[in-house]
Amino acid sequence: MIRFEGAGRRYGEVRAVRDVSFEVPRGSLCVLLGESGSGKSTLMRMVNRLVEPDAGRVLLEGRDVAGLDPQALRRGIGYVIQSVGLFPHWDVARNVATVPRLLGWDEGRVAARVEELLALVGLDPATFGGRRPATLSGGQAQRVGLARALAADPPVLLMDEPFSALDPATRRGLQAELRRIHRETGKTILLVTHDVEEALALADRIAVMEAGSLAAEGPALAVLGRDAPPAVQRMLRPEALAFQRLGVLPAAAFAEAGPVPGAPGLPGDATLRDALLLMLAEGTDRVSLEGAAPRHLTVAGVLAAPWAETREAGA
Amino acid sequence: MGRLLPGGGQPALALLALTAMAAPWWLGWVSVAPNRLLSARLVPLPGALPVTVAWAAFHLSCLALLALAWRGRVERWAEVVAVLAVLALAATVGLGAAAALPAGSPLARASPAAGAWVALLVLALATATASAARGGTPALPLAAALLGLGAMAVAGVFDSLSLAREAAGRAGELRAALLGHAALAGGSLALALLVAAPLSALALRRPALEAAFLGLASGLQVIPSLALFGLLIAPLAALAAAVPALRSLGLGGIGPAPAVIGISAYLLLPLARGLVAGLRVAPAEVLEAARGQGLSEAGILRSVRLPLGAPVMLAALRLAAVQAVGLAVLAALVGGGGLGSLLFQGIGQLASDLILLGVFPVLALSLLADAGLALLARLIPAA
Repeated sequence: MIRFEGAGRRYGEVRAVRDVSFEVPRGSLCVLLGESGSGKSTLMRMVNRLVEPDAGRVLLEGRDVAGLDPQALRRGIGYVIQSVGLFPHWDVARNVATVPRLLGWDEGRVAARVEELLALVGLDPATFGGRRPATLSGGQAQRVGLARALAADPPVLLMDEPFSALDPATRRGLQAELRRIHRETGKTILLVTHDVEEALALADRIAVMEAGSLAAEGPALAVLGRDAPPAVQRMLRPEALAFQRLGVLPAAAFAEAGPVPGAPGLPGDATLRDALLLMLAEGTDRVSLEGAAPRHLTVAGVLAAPWAETREAGA
Repeated sequence: MGRLLPGGGQPALALLALTAMAAPWWLGWVSVAPNRLLSARLVPLPGALPVTVAWAAFHLSCLALLALAWRGRVERWAEVVAVLAVLALAATVGLGAAAALPAGSPLARASPAAGAWVALLVLALATATASAARGGTPALPLAAALLGLGAMAVAGVFDSLSLAREAAGRAGELRAALLGHAALAGGSLALALLVAAPLSALALRRPALEAAFLGLASGLQVIPSLALFGLLIAPLAALAAAVPALRSLGLGGIGPAPAVIGISAYLLLPLARGLVAGLRVAPAEVLEAARGQGLSEAGILRSVRLPLGAPVMLAALRLAAVQAVGLAVLAALVGGGGLGSLLFQGIGQLASDLILLGVFPVLALSLLADAGLALLARLIPAA
């Protein structure tokens, strides 16, 4: 787990980060959400000491990172950045193998690990292992970046706007992959983004940064709820927030029993946003949910859902 | 690909081929002087069979070039026949000189006459034109021509030429000068690298140091080279007098020391610029990723900055090496030896063969350094 205790950092007169305290529990996916210049990247980079705090401290598994050798610390933390930063003169396999090689793994173990990871991030090792980064698409490159970060099996992953440079479809695909990998590996992930939709799609917990300070922190739906602190509301456009929340609420949880003959069908694992979009597209006020028992959703049910969930979660 | 216009001729190339053919008949093939210091006179091309075969081959090659140029077919073949023409011309002059020298006068000297030189120059131009029309560089034809001329020299075709006689008479001196020249240029380059490499690495993190270093290197370029060598003589002489141990190492006011130090001072600017720029080639996000993965600064230099910057740095090294070979000619003026000693001796005696004896090896060394480093740059896989 990662724990910030009164962490702060100044650049000249500018206080990039001031007095931030919160904890990222082990195994959670915490999103640091904020506008550019809010200090979220600076805060994240304190964890692997790419930025040194000048106030407070950062603890990793209970140990102050300031007391650890920076290179050894970084080799034990996966690091993914928006621009990926693959070494252009190395092929994909060698790029993924960077940290295992630094750690002195033997060649056989490195090769096996590279293959395993490329498969994990959805790239065929035989096809992609020998390719140069320049021949990859943006999405493929970031998959390699993710594999590289996971190479030495670090318990913690830091991700700085990892999907922000990708087109929306690729981004949604990679978000789904990240959720799956997080579920499968149980890593503690701290992810920086300015995208509320992405935060809602990925986060267990959300920490909102504003002007260098922590504005709110907690479970994702609670932080971005109707009772969010004014700073969060100002930043997030609450009217759009309601729609974005629909994107993470499963349609099945809000369905009513009973068949609706002739209504368009919705897949069983769809979200409420999918349900609303289908109603808009078909011009109907109800859709039926595919599944064993006949169920359906009404437009009134969808409209009531965003804030109903918060009450359930808070209760 | 090679044609400029479909079916269109290459009038420039055709004109060059015609000029190459006509020049030796008009301005002469070979001239003979009674000895190395007296002025030479044109002699008619002897009628011996080997000479006739050689000039016939020269004209056939030129005619082939003319025909190719006329029809606009300038691909590889134009370069091939141009190189053949050069070799045939050299053979005509070499064999012609052997036949033209009067028997029983060991002091007489034969040299290529103006017509032969003009033809050679025109053929070089024609080769370059043909290469350019193909969209390439004349590197391969140049190498082929040099290889052919070298083989002919080894076979003794040029032994009767005055330049070869001068070289044979001064073989020991020439070898010493060539080795001395290579040592001067190599030593200067090594010294400049020794200073520039660590300073460039340090300059990466310290903008003030970079500004001071590049400022100093640029400032040195303003001092004329001979003046810089001269300026170094007094302090080095004083140093050698104060510390006799240095004198036994070969350091003194006169000799190679001021030349090597002076030349390396000039090499600092191209090296420093290239090295600093090369170290900066690696993009910021690659450096960020390298740091984030726990590479040390030394590891980043070795695994990221050097391989990515190698092409830029090698280009700077190439420029500096060629400059070093050229500047080392001046070392002779401060007693530093090298091929400059032959050249300046030749100028002093107005002996053009001796001047050429100094110039040709300098040219060869320069081409060798350039080609060698270019080849090295090509061997490094592109990033």
